[in-house]
Amino acid sequence: MRRGLIARSKTEQPDALFDARLLRLRAAMGGFDALLVYTNNTRPAAVSWLTGFVPYWSEALLVVSGNRLPVLVVALTFRVKPWIERTSRVAEVVHAPRIGIEAARFIAGHKPDAAVGVVDFDHLPVGIADDLRDAGPRLCLSDASDRFAEVRAPADPAEIMLTARASSIAAAALSQVGSRNGANEIVAAVERDARRNGAEEVYVAMAPDLAGDQRFLRLEREPALGRRFSVRASVAYKGCWVRRAVTIDRDGRVSDDAEAAFADAISLLPSDRALSRFSTFLVEGCRIAQPLEALMGSRIAAPCSPVAGAVVSVQACIELDGRPVLIAAPALVGASGEAASIFP
Amino acid sequence: MDMMADNTPLAIARRHRLLDAMAAAGIDEVVVYGNAWQGDYLRYVTDFGILEGHGIAVIAADGATELFLDSATDAERAEAETPGVAVRLCGDVARTVGVRLDRVANRRLAAAPWRFLPAWLAAAARSFTVEDGTALVDRLLMHKLPAEIDAIRRAARIADDAYGEFIKAVAPGRRQYEIAADLEAYLRRRGCPDNFMIIGSGGKDVFGMTPPSDRRIAAGDLVTTELTPAVEGYYVQICRTLVTGTATVAQAKAFAIYREALEAGIAAVKPGATAADVACAENDVFRKFGLGDYVTSKYTRVRGHGIGLFCDSKPHILEDVDTPLEPGMALIVHPNTYHPEVGYLVLGDAVVVSQTGVEVLCRTPRELFEVPA
Repeated sequence: MRRGLIARSKTEQPDALFDARLLRLRAAMGGFDALLVYTNNTRPAAVSWLTGFVPYWSEALLVVSGNRLPVLVVALTFRVKPWIERTSRVAEVVHAPRIGIEAARFIAGHKPDAAVGVVDFDHLPVGIADDLRDAGPRLCLSDASDRFAEVRAPADPAEIMLTARASSIAAAALSQVGSRNGANEIVAAVERDARRNGAEEVYVAMAPDLAGDQRFLRLEREPALGRRFSVRASVAYKGCWVRRAVTIDRDGRVSDDAEAAFADAISLLPSDRALSRFSTFLVEGCRIAQPLEALMGSRIAAPCSPVAGAVVSVQACIELDGRPVLIAAPALVGASGEAASIFP
Repeated sequence: MDMMADNTPLAIARRHRLLDAMAAAGIDEVVVYGNAWQGDYLRYVTDFGILEGHGIAVIAADGATELFLDSATDAERAEAETPGVAVRLCGDVARTVGVRLDRVANRRLAAAPWRFLPAWLAAAARSFTVEDGTALVDRLLMHKLPAEIDAIRRAARIADDAYGEFIKAVAPGRRQYEIAADLEAYLRRRGCPDNFMIIGSGGKDVFGMTPPSDRRIAAGDLVTTELTPAVEGYYVQICRTLVTGTATVAQAKAFAIYREALEAGIAAVKPGATAADVACAENDVFRKFGLGDYVTSKYTRVRGHGIGLFCDSKPHILEDVDTPLEPGMALIVHPNTYHPEVGYLVLGDAVVVSQTGVEVLCRTPRELFEVPA
């Protein structure tokens, strides 16, 4: 679910931005007559990158074909059409309870034996895959994930700007932590600040007592706070997600050495040579539809290095004087050999 | 060693119910899919509230449960939050689960909810065959244990209090998303980690509720909301409408129709009645007042729905849904729709089907509230 502000800003997301991305995608669509991109509120990133549309609920299929703007087939009801039109750059919004049937009919209506690339085809819900086949029996469906990921990978200036905004929202929200007492009060303060500053969504997690456990939890019952604890805010702003985390020590200031070591390690990205010296680390980024997909990390069996110019979020647990510091921040992987840098 | 020993009593009770149902149906292993939108099946069997990425659990007949997640942060959280479940972090959930199912390809396997299963797992080329097990789990989700109903009751107390906070938060000039921020913060302070909330404000130009926008509340607005907080994963819902200022005669007159419809709908909730009976009772009131057009799908989605581990569960309260109501089912009855003279209005209460009739969970008065303009 999305409970924050979903509003398109034509200053931050002008029509030309989506048109340029679509142009890049079309240029890479050789061999496909149409492209289908699925979205729901947990895998919204591909469609939001192309149109700005973020479903707060339910699911949709974006149909990219010909030289026109894409058509969005949504399972949401007709009553929210004006909201979708306000928040998205699409030619038409079509409402249908079974979006696979409607999307297949639309494509087959133009070309019954069209070659259709489906982004993340393997994970498409089987109910929709079956409907596509039933309603477009001659359509030739195949996976187009790699091709989409290639086009999507380097961040454009708009994505960098929106990520910077998400990062600043997260940083401001986490600055609320220090003066608060009690885990629930801290989570509430962080969340309120992020949402009041326009976050589309925010997930706040805590590692309430680093002396016992360094894992981030979603709080339900109020845990006792240890002398040292960490808070992480995962924040979305207009489709761009970041994670930031801070560690608080009630007995004194957490040494700046951790931040410095973290920044040094990030500067070497896409190499994880320095990050891998920490107790744990994780690099996440958006390749296809999942906003923050695990790319590299101490637990990632098949790492996938971020490309030059990509936006990532990095988390690490750094041991300083035998005590853990949990830290997280978004970063921009340098292009042309430049050092990667953390978003402020 | 009892693999479930560290789980909550409710999670253990649910898992035993599932294992009994599997045994009765002759199912050897169940494959359950979940994501942050449709996470109820996964929560039922693993007690994990998924937030990011795909999750698939495989439950064997002896109760051994593996949870496959592609989000590294959710995998870390699952390890901490769901003791007794073996958590596997994997880049490609479908293929990793496929390897797991290859090992039991000769067994009888069922998946739920079927329509969300990744297409790769259902392909004919696999060594295993998975049948549709949605109905098996749906029965468990709909017919709740007493402890599940208790969690919903606790959520209802929070929902009532949260609506009180909503009334305090609404004022002319405030933007919708600022109001939502205050509500979410209130719920986090109460230890409630999740809530589904949509909102509407304005007059005849408003046809429904959406996520909060940057629209400012104005004097005379009808402000609608649907609050859906969760306790231990169990959602409850309350729908109310307020006016900024004093309600006009037209607004008050319209609201009275919704109150009558809600009361008629709730009166129809009893064991043996169907979801259609409840929808008909609500809609008949609108038809009586010449508003029959406004109970069609053009203006309203459903006249209520099930609640539980998902905030929009089965059964949907519609005139063509013949699901019988039985004790232990929890519902929201909400005759929400557009009124041609004043705009979109909502009013809804959560209820539980009892042995003899209905228990209303919401205590907030069924009023058209007014806040200072």
